[in-house]
Amino acid sequence: MTNPTVAEAWVAAPLKRLMEDARLISGVLLYPSGRAVGQFGFSNAADVMSICALTSAINASARELGRQLDGKPFYEMHHAGAERQVFMARAAAGAQEFLFVGVFDRESSLGVVEIYFSEFQKALEKLLPENQAVQVRPSDDFEGELNRSLDALFGPIGKK
Amino acid sequence: MRAVSQVVASLSRVPGVVAAMVVGASDGLIIEASQIVGYAPGATDTRRPTAALAAYLYSKVNRASDAARLGTPAFMRLEAEKGHICVVGASDVVLVTIVAPDANLGRVRLDMMNAAKDNR
Repeated sequence: MTNPTVAEAWVAAPLKRLMEDARLISGVLLYPSGRAVGQFGFSNAADVMSICALTSAINASARELGRQLDGKPFYEMHHAGAERQVFMARAAAGAQEFLFVGVFDRESSLGVVEIYFSEFQKALEKLLPENQAVQVRPSDDFEGELNRSLDALFGPIGKK
Repeated sequence: MRAVSQVVASLSRVPGVVAAMVVGASDGLIIEASQIVGYAPGATDTRRPTAALAAYLYSKVNRASDAARLGTPAFMRLEAEKGHICVVGASDVVLVTIVAPDANLGRVRLDMMNAAKDNR
């Protein structure tokens, strides 16, 4: 298991704890806009970029679906594959919202991931810097923002 | 096969059982749970984390038992400072009880084993 790489240092400790306690294989923490905040289990920036874009889109669709069906957005989603399972959820820290997507296998379980994710959420709430800018909307420069966050996680592309 | 609600109801009536739950063996999610004896409104509900972690622990115990060539574990009891957690596997579910320290553990064990046998 490798340590998480983060674009914002304050999320490193809670992300590492979540990874270890919930026995996650890989995971990405991002803003709803698609900008990556931290990741573990990936060595390729392109994979994280795809996951961020997909998670952001899935969240937007699921949120609207939840509103249509239940009058409020869904908080978490779970997909059980044959070997691996995907857990996706929203985490709020103050007014700031984050999305998390994690992958686990038979070494863990949905119940265990849910328990440690709720602890992770509490840790984010506690550690969120006071001067953290609230970014609830995607910026006009989605691609540039995504690339900058990936540079922070993996280093500038082509300079390795 | 007895309904899960019947299993939970009968286990929760055993003296000393603080809470009884039927939990998914693979996902650790509660299928049916009794009320917690002596639960004060507003206090932290410990059933969900207990269920998830007990099911997880049981799956590891299963592997340890298998590695030692002992076969499937029949009964698991975790003794703690303020009580016990008992777990029995029954096909795709696990029965979990939170038990007071002064409970009749023999009775708890027997009733859990019988309930598991009925659900296999």
